[in-house]
Amino acid sequence: MSKNILLPGFREPPVDEDFEEFYINMGPQHPSTHGALRLVVRLDGEKIIEVVPHLGYIHRGMEKQAEKLNYIQYIMMSDRQDYLTAIQNNLGVCLALEKGAGIGVPERAEYIRVILAELSRIASHLVFYACFGGDLGGQTVLLYGFKEREMIHDIFEEVTGSRLTTNFFRPGGSNKDIPDTFVPRVKALLKHLEGALSDYDRLLTKNIAAMDRSVGVGVLSKEDAIAYGCSGPVLRASGVSYDVRKNDPYSIYSSLDFNVPVFYNGDCYDRYLIRFQEMYESIKIIKQCIDKIPNGPYRSKEKPIFKLPNGSFYAATETAKGLYGTYVVSTGGNSPYRIHTRSPSFGNLAALNTMAKGQRLSDLVTILATIDPVIPEIDR
Amino acid sequence: MGIMPFIPKILDPVPGGKTIVNMVDYVVNWARANSLWPLTYGTSCCAIEMMSSSMARYDIARFGSEVFRDSPRQADLFIIAGTITERMAPAVQMLWEQIPGPKYSIAMGACTISGGPFRYDNYAVVRGAEQVIPVDVFIPGCPPRPEALFHGLLKLREKIMKESSRNVWKEGALSESEERNRYKEAALAWAELEKIKDEEMALAREQFKTNPPENYVPYKAVRVQKETFPEIERVNIQTQGKSVEELFKIAETYESDIKIFDESSDILDIVVSKEKYFHLANSLKNDENIKLDYLIDITAVDWNDHFDVIAQLMSTKFGHKVFLRVALSKKEISDETKATSILASLESLTPLYPAADFKEREVYDMFGIYFENHPDMRRLFLDENFKGYPLRKDFTHPHIIPKPV
Amino acid sequence: MLPSVTHPIGDFVRENVPNVLGYLPDFIQPYIPSAEIATLINIIICMVAIAVVGIAPVPVLIYMERKVCAHIQCRLGPMRLGPHGVLQLVADIAKLLFKEVYAPKGADKFLFYLAPIFVLTAPFLNLCVIPFDKNLQVADLSVAIPFILAMNGFGILSTLLGGWASNNKYSLISSLRSGAQIISYEISFAMILLLVVMLAGSASLGEITASQSGHFWDWWIFKAPVLGLLAFIMFLVSSTAELNRAPFDIAEAEQELTGGFHTEYNGMAFAMFYLAEYINLFTTSCIATVCFLGGYHAPTIGILAIDNILNFVPGIVWFLGKTFFVVWIYMMFRWTFVRPRVDQLMALEWKFLLPVNLLLLIFGVVFLAFGWILP
Repeated sequence: MSKNILLPGFREPPVDEDFEEFYINMGPQHPSTHGALRLVVRLDGEKIIEVVPHLGYIHRGMEKQAEKLNYIQYIMMSDRQDYLTAIQNNLGVCLALEKGAGIGVPERAEYIRVILAELSRIASHLVFYACFGGDLGGQTVLLYGFKEREMIHDIFEEVTGSRLTTNFFRPGGSNKDIPDTFVPRVKALLKHLEGALSDYDRLLTKNIAAMDRSVGVGVLSKEDAIAYGCSGPVLRASGVSYDVRKNDPYSIYSSLDFNVPVFYNGDCYDRYLIRFQEMYESIKIIKQCIDKIPNGPYRSKEKPIFKLPNGSFYAATETAKGLYGTYVVSTGGNSPYRIHTRSPSFGNLAALNTMAKGQRLSDLVTILATIDPVIPEIDR
Repeated sequence: MGIMPFIPKILDPVPGGKTIVNMVDYVVNWARANSLWPLTYGTSCCAIEMMSSSMARYDIARFGSEVFRDSPRQADLFIIAGTITERMAPAVQMLWEQIPGPKYSIAMGACTISGGPFRYDNYAVVRGAEQVIPVDVFIPGCPPRPEALFHGLLKLREKIMKESSRNVWKEGALSESEERNRYKEAALAWAELEKIKDEEMALAREQFKTNPPENYVPYKAVRVQKETFPEIERVNIQTQGKSVEELFKIAETYESDIKIFDESSDILDIVVSKEKYFHLANSLKNDENIKLDYLIDITAVDWNDHFDVIAQLMSTKFGHKVFLRVALSKKEISDETKATSILASLESLTPLYPAADFKEREVYDMFGIYFENHPDMRRLFLDENFKGYPLRKDFTHPHIIPKPV
Repeated sequence: MLPSVTHPIGDFVRENVPNVLGYLPDFIQPYIPSAEIATLINIIICMVAIAVVGIAPVPVLIYMERKVCAHIQCRLGPMRLGPHGVLQLVADIAKLLFKEVYAPKGADKFLFYLAPIFVLTAPFLNLCVIPFDKNLQVADLSVAIPFILAMNGFGILSTLLGGWASNNKYSLISSLRSGAQIISYEISFAMILLLVVMLAGSASLGEITASQSGHFWDWWIFKAPVLGLLAFIMFLVSSTAELNRAPFDIAEAEQELTGGFHTEYNGMAFAMFYLAEYINLFTTSCIATVCFLGGYHAPTIGILAIDNILNFVPGIVWFLGKTFFVVWIYMMFRWTFVRPRVDQLMALEWKFLLPVNLLLLIFGVVFLAFGWILP
């Protein structure tokens, strides 16, 4: 009789009768699980046989609560899903609401949206850079990533009034107009950011130890990436060029000139590189937009009570983590009958087991860092 | 707690001993107050602000608290950063138990004070960290800024400096003792003052009405000019890939009895019967002209009399999306058990899309729809023994506080 | 091991103890073992001295670590307690002293508390053989280098004990990792020291220091051209692994194992591990100073006027200066690199460091045979 018992969720049959398998519980409080994720790891020595994520430690019942809120109030909830890209989540919700209500957006608002969304993408990728370095054991990298992020948050604070949970966009535009200092500050930031990014690039990209830890680790094949519903940088690192900004453009992305970086190995190093490339692309986008912000209204005519017509509406955005979809079912009232979020981290985390199988315990930390999950977004 | 309680017992009766005890207390408190090692723990938005506070710009190290310990056994300070859900609460309690005394806790953010934005109409969130563990300092904000965290830290220091070995720190002492009573007393006293103030104000108003001052000119409110915004025509962006008609035509070749759910939508939303659902998904996935290889999501809607399960599919090659919609009638059972039992079942898409694994589990968890042939049909977000399925319209839970209108 | 025979303080004690004891009444005189009493007094003096020398640098090192780390990360580090936060460490230690200590459920209590005691023993014993100045050495062993290696081997015992006794899976993995790591790196560590022994012609640290007397190019790092420098770099790498310091801290690997073998330790028991880490750092830097940087010798440059000034500074100042320079290198190392994986760490040792060290050893022989050593 085998000594090895399978815990709930594990599917692989015991490999060998003779050796004793080893279960390790990581989380919900663990330094590298990025919040309240709990993983149960089945080990053969240091080698991972299987990983099972246990979710729900930060499940806050947002979708149920949203049924009691009105549409404008729900935008606040989207801030608290992926707090690293709060402004992009706002945008995602607003797109779905605009689609439902048939509201147009003035051009100035579109530019504001794109610039803020791309700044938010840079901020999120900087956090990724920091956590990636930190999880590899380079504490200094952790601090460098957060340094530039603070500057971006200064701009957010000036524009939206809040550092993290911005709650800024509204159906038809934005909540407030941008201040006069916005354009010079963004320009100054971009100037600084380019230098800083190339420094950080030099620090980690060709670092031998970091490359050893990430090249060929946690490989996700193209087929698996699609099958597991990965999106964003995780999907593009595996060789699939799918970016909502290009493939299903919203806002003014179709008129902008930018590339979608694609890498083909699907390992941790590629997922790292792709995020770095995306930061450069975001800078490129902001540069195109910042001088062209037109004058005019920053939002279209607002209704006293925002209502959606009967029906169901779906809109997708590309946040820093990937495809962020909002699905709204309306019965004509001012609060949603059902609102559902397709969160990118949820899809990406599903592929964790595939990536981690056969790797070492230390690699699990690297893989998790390159998936870059935000747990409240998964649990909602 | 070692020798600390005995120091005042021995030294207090001795002449001049009280001063020595006070000095020892001062030194010990000074050490404790200035060397607060926090536990690495965070659940949501506040955790990021907590991290920011230890980073270069804010630098919590200036206060000697940069030594974030990952193991609770070496920590002194529990910064509860982020919402505590009912599933997390036992873990929070356990972490608190594992921290060796003397230990302190800071509740960071609105969620840990009262549940914050999740207080009302919510079944999953614990309304405040105080329900779970004793809290020393509350920091309001959603999320609080790093400066606010520092303020909380300094407040905690002040609190620690007032401790004494005569009344030594005991576990759980914080949650019952005078602290709490003092708070209650203060609240009562405040209410008393408010009452007096209200009465005086009412009196003053009365007087003002009957006997206005001589040179009184009634104030006329001027309405601030509200900004007006133009109405703007919506520009619908061309959807990618094949058009709705084309897609529907191809889909019809596989299953004849399908229909479009919403004609006006720009995404093809096919209504398909329960039996044909898996077959249609399989055909559309393998069809070279449609190639729906990507599962965006599986979700459901509860229409009181039936469920709609919606599988949102996409093609990474062409970019078009197709939604498959199955109407599942609810099982007829008695009203008492209806809310807590599984009411419908459907074939799982996991053989086609491994992504469906988690997503179907979510639907199972939230709606109580069983998926056949699913390899691991357990609840995903909620505990196995959680009663009911939250996203159903008839869901009730004892922990829900309805929002006062 | 009895204290050094030739130490001036020891001699002073040995000379004067019989004189002092001579004042005792005559009838007890034959029963008094004056030589043994003198030895006992010497031992007590040595123990106190070692305790002071071992503990005293630790606050400096920890303060230095926190400041170096802060400045490399664009921060300020401790600032509020005392000028520039110098009292921060006092507060930390005092707090840890008054913290609750308990063993987790299911732990082997005896071994659990034995480990933190063991962990402090090894570095203190190592300090006994180090010549801080010409006459500031507890014992000038003729087998000092093997003694150091033996003590380092003893040091892992605490890691293994602590990891096993904690009844925690993280600790267990960590102790297994560190066991494998330290045993592997012990070899290159020994090889490098062996090279120095070969070049100096003695395994006694006093004689190794004496062999580097003269100008600064007489230190072993320069005396054997290129070879010495390479050996010094190899020593730094393998001793970092030996010390279990980042980037080779796979045993503690915070991000993976939450703290490794000391996950379950709290209060003073944890402070002992914390302390031992820094005493070990100091000891290893001392060994590096003795073996490569000329020990307590002043860096004289051959110009008499300057040399006289340099020689006027006491040897211990030079010794500590060099030691803290090596410590600083370790710290820069720690905060710059990312951590390798456990199998990569092993590969680095067995596939790179060990062959290179063997080559260095062979070159050492060649250097000696052809007399390529600087005069």
